Amino acid sequence: MSIPRWRSICAASAVALAASFGPAIAGPADDTLRAAMAEEILNLDYNYTTKREYIILAQLTDATLFDLDPATQEFNPSVATGYDWVDDTTLDVTLRDDVKFHDGSTLTPEDVAYTYNWIASPDSESNASGVVERWLDNAEVTGPNTVRFHLKSVYPLVLRDMSNRIMLRKAGTYDAGGTIDRNAMSSNLIGTGPYKVVSFEPGTELVLERFDDFFGDKPAIGKVVVRNIPDIGTQQAELMSGGIDWMFKVPLDLAESLGATPMAEHLSGPDLRIGFIVLDAHGYTDPDGPLTNLKVRQAINYALNTEEMAKYLIGGSAEAIHTACHPAQFGCDQNVTAYPYDPEKAKALLAEAGYGEGFPLELWAYRDKAVAEAISADLTKVGIDVDLRYVKLESLNQARAAREIPAYVGTWGSGGTADTAAIARIHFSDSDRNLSGDEALQELVLSAEQTADQAKRKAIYSEAIGKIADEAYWAPLFSYSANYLVSPQLSFPLDPDGLPRLQHASWK
Amino acid sequence: MTTTDITLSAVEDGETKALTPGEIFRQRIFGHKGFLLGAGLILLIVLVAIFAPLLAPHDPYAQSLSSRMLPPVWDDAGTWDHLLGTDQNGRDYLSRLIYGTRVSITIGIGAATVGLFIGVTLGVIAGYFGGWLDHAISFLLTAQLALPGLLLAMALVFIIGPSIWVVIGIVGVLHWTYYLVVTRAATQRIRSQDFIAAAAASGASSRQIIWHEILPNLLSSIIVIFTFELGIAILAESSLSFLGVGIQPPTPSWGLMIAEGKQAMFYRPWLVILPGICLFLLVIGANLMGDGLRDITSPEGRNG
Amino acid sequence: MLRYIALRGLLALLVAFTVSLAAFLLLNVAADPAQAIAGEDATPDVVEAIRQRYGLDQPLWVRYGEWLGGVLQGDFGESYYWHKPVAELVADRADETITLALSALSVTILIAIPLGALAALNPNSWIDRVALGVAVSAQAVPNFWLGLIMIILFAVMIPIFPVSGDDTWKHFVLPAFVLGASSVPAVMRLTRTGLIEVMGADYVRTARAKGFRGWPLLRRHAMRNALLPVISVLAVQLGQKFGGSVITESIFAINGLGRLALESILGADIPTVQMLIFVFAIVFVVMNLLADILNAALDPRIRIG
Repeated sequence: MSIPRWRSICAASAVALAASFGPAIAGPADDTLRAAMAEEILNLDYNYTTKREYIILAQLTDATLFDLDPATQEFNPSVATGYDWVDDTTLDVTLRDDVKFHDGSTLTPEDVAYTYNWIASPDSESNASGVVERWLDNAEVTGPNTVRFHLKSVYPLVLRDMSNRIMLRKAGTYDAGGTIDRNAMSSNLIGTGPYKVVSFEPGTELVLERFDDFFGDKPAIGKVVVRNIPDIGTQQAELMSGGIDWMFKVPLDLAESLGATPMAEHLSGPDLRIGFIVLDAHGYTDPDGPLTNLKVRQAINYALNTEEMAKYLIGGSAEAIHTACHPAQFGCDQNVTAYPYDPEKAKALLAEAGYGEGFPLELWAYRDKAVAEAISADLTKVGIDVDLRYVKLESLNQARAAREIPAYVGTWGSGGTADTAAIARIHFSDSDRNLSGDEALQELVLSAEQTADQAKRKAIYSEAIGKIADEAYWAPLFSYSANYLVSPQLSFPLDPDGLPRLQHASWK
Repeated sequence: MTTTDITLSAVEDGETKALTPGEIFRQRIFGHKGFLLGAGLILLIVLVAIFAPLLAPHDPYAQSLSSRMLPPVWDDAGTWDHLLGTDQNGRDYLSRLIYGTRVSITIGIGAATVGLFIGVTLGVIAGYFGGWLDHAISFLLTAQLALPGLLLAMALVFIIGPSIWVVIGIVGVLHWTYYLVVTRAATQRIRSQDFIAAAAASGASSRQIIWHEILPNLLSSIIVIFTFELGIAILAESSLSFLGVGIQPPTPSWGLMIAEGKQAMFYRPWLVILPGICLFLLVIGANLMGDGLRDITSPEGRNG
Repeated sequence: MLRYIALRGLLALLVAFTVSLAAFLLLNVAADPAQAIAGEDATPDVVEAIRQRYGLDQPLWVRYGEWLGGVLQGDFGESYYWHKPVAELVADRADETITLALSALSVTILIAIPLGALAALNPNSWIDRVALGVAVSAQAVPNFWLGLIMIILFAVMIPIFPVSGDDTWKHFVLPAFVLGASSVPAVMRLTRTGLIEVMGADYVRTARAKGFRGWPLLRRHAMRNALLPVISVLAVQLGQKFGGSVITESIFAINGLGRLALESILGADIPTVQMLIFVFAIVFVVMNLLADILNAALDPRIRIG
């Protein structure tokens, strides 16, 4: 940090003073953890939402059949005590008998079967349906504490989906009395998690209280209040005045400036999100365009100083990557072709490809403007005339669906799943994100989901990631880091998958 | 492209005509302090824009990530190499401010011209022909004033793709109403005068009357509006760029620079303050010049 | 008179529908609402499911027709994000924006009218020049920048007002000043020219001959007539404050209609944008109508036909 420390303290205390109009005093005094989120919280039922904020909340209010240990990537029992594969497509799951819903009733196998069958049914229109209907034929109660899942086909990621995506509900929740109510749990949530909902004002505030009948380890902090504060500057002011104890998705510069003061602590942890450039190798936008030329794509890879970007623009634990997956993900083979920063080589490759004079390139981006500008500057340096189109994500996706994007800076968080499957399928099979047009690669990626043999899956992903690198379908950039600012009194452990788990927080 | 030619010749006519009472006019110009100050400011900024490559100490696009967010020279940690420090990509801030003049001036002049063509055309048509045309144009005017410009800008930038020319078009399309209101009223007034009736009686077509009788008479007010619109268009561009639907990075636009500096403004306020001051000076120059021109060209004049 | 108001009301509705159609088309080409609802890490099948659930896979004209049908029955639809009726959402947020617009207008009146009057009483004096300087400067300051500078100055360097939010009256001081400042030049100039003109009129000369000077002269004889045009301009300015609230509310994090408009435009929340545009257009036209009526009512020389 080039600015003197005293100056940031002055600025920070001024902001704090200015913000100290609010009555809120957070912290250990009333055993209440106050967290700020920029994204509006409008629906508490994760079976009907997708955004990251909702995953964080679902961890507090809901329990799932299994828990994915972020450190070991192993599936631990949770609501389920164990499982048994009867054959390739039949899975038996045994349940605990002491799991309570927030209304005091006990969870039964009927509830579990109902939840899964509801989500798999077309009537549910659940956001989890897409994932579940891929593999679930039906769930059936087979005993006082057992449920049998019949699969449509072999699917290696069943336990992952069970851990991440399906929140357990009481039988009849969404279609009691024959009328379908998909919003049944959107605000008065009855879950099985460590916290229960006390009050919820959509878009403003959510108040949670420790659920004393929770079957698992009880959280250390008694109350959690989640406030919607859209402006990061306001969040910052609130943090310094003690109005909140926790904020996330903090821009690096702000995190460092404020973290240098005694009023807040800057935590930086790993994140499974990676950044990359997707190149239209197939030529959807221009069948004979420069990007259909392997040498041009390699030149772009060589032209980018990804290490500097990771170090200065993302910071924390961010690192340059050379694979189309996060190095921590299962199957993400690091022994594939790398293109280290070498602008001279990039120029030479461009010249060899017949673009010695450069060419115009429309590059789309939707987040991290400084990164987009850095990429554009690096590419300009080797002679590519970049026309940067920095737009909202919604606009980028609209244009991508219309096949109008020759190259874009994408990011993907894999939903916190440390498995190459979570990034490869979406980007290299039948989606508009796949600009490679490589059908063999697509078959390869899909074949990994047809086997439950981990060694075989690993080999398949190695091959796929290797091919992507050889063909330079992408220009991988860097892994992200997750930046938090927390109150100095709060102890907040960070997990390697980058997902914040407020239920593990405690007071110092 | 006939319209352009004819209007250009109209401008020349206007100048020669305006210069005939030479002495008084010159006196008015040099006696008007506001006008001199405004014109001086604009001249200075135009010179900076023209000679930007000579004045700027660095390439405004050259990034150096390892020396990002350097403070200005008056700060303890500042250096003489980067007088006003660097931005979030390590680009020299002074050089970006200097090149920013080009963006603002190009867009100001371009957009004010686009608005001029739309507004004057509609205004003269509405004022001259009246009737349902007038009603239709009034409706268009109200609808235009009620439509959020942000939405229009977002959609157009998205469909056509962002470039300085698109932004000129957008800002121009958003700023023709002032021309319309003034020229419509003036045309109505002129149309009712005797010499128009005389021209019509001698067989002149509407087209000829508009170009030879009406437009020359509107010229001075159009020039005054143009000067004001220059400032307004520059502000509009900066607002759109601030909201992310105008000039795209890495082009150095002052509005965009303010948006980029906003995140760090509690710790590095100069990132926000400096481009704002540049905008202020440019726009106040245009406004003073507009005020001055109005006083100078109005028949009675006004001491200012 | 009634017929005139009815005609103008009809025009307002026509404008509102035209603008809403334009907005609908613009929004649909610029962004994919389904993606906006689903969020950054949503998989394509989730996005597709949302598209079907909200009927976004229907042709544009069908969707606009459905919206129009609903509006004609007083139903503006449901927001994609908030999952509640847009009308409710707009009603919830309206008071913040009305508060902001009215306080901004008060700021304008408090600064512009005294300044304009002082300038008119002392033409070509230093006061006149200062007033002119204020007007010219206020016109040249980018609104969003003024907001940021106010935050830096009066919330950070001299912390007397809160940075952002809308809980207490203190939260509204800076935003009202920023939003109000933009109307000062027009209102001040109008007050000044109006007064100077009126002061030259015969009846004021007579009053002056009777020995009236300064404020008494202003108050008893000149102000009323000079303020006629000012009042109608204020009505128009109030209408514009609603549109102007977009940037101000975003900078100061005020939970009003302006910020709702910005967020729903950027997030392609079409039903919300549609209703807001409708409301803004009507407010705008009504304020203009009000200005005309005020003018007619206060000035016997004008008759509306």
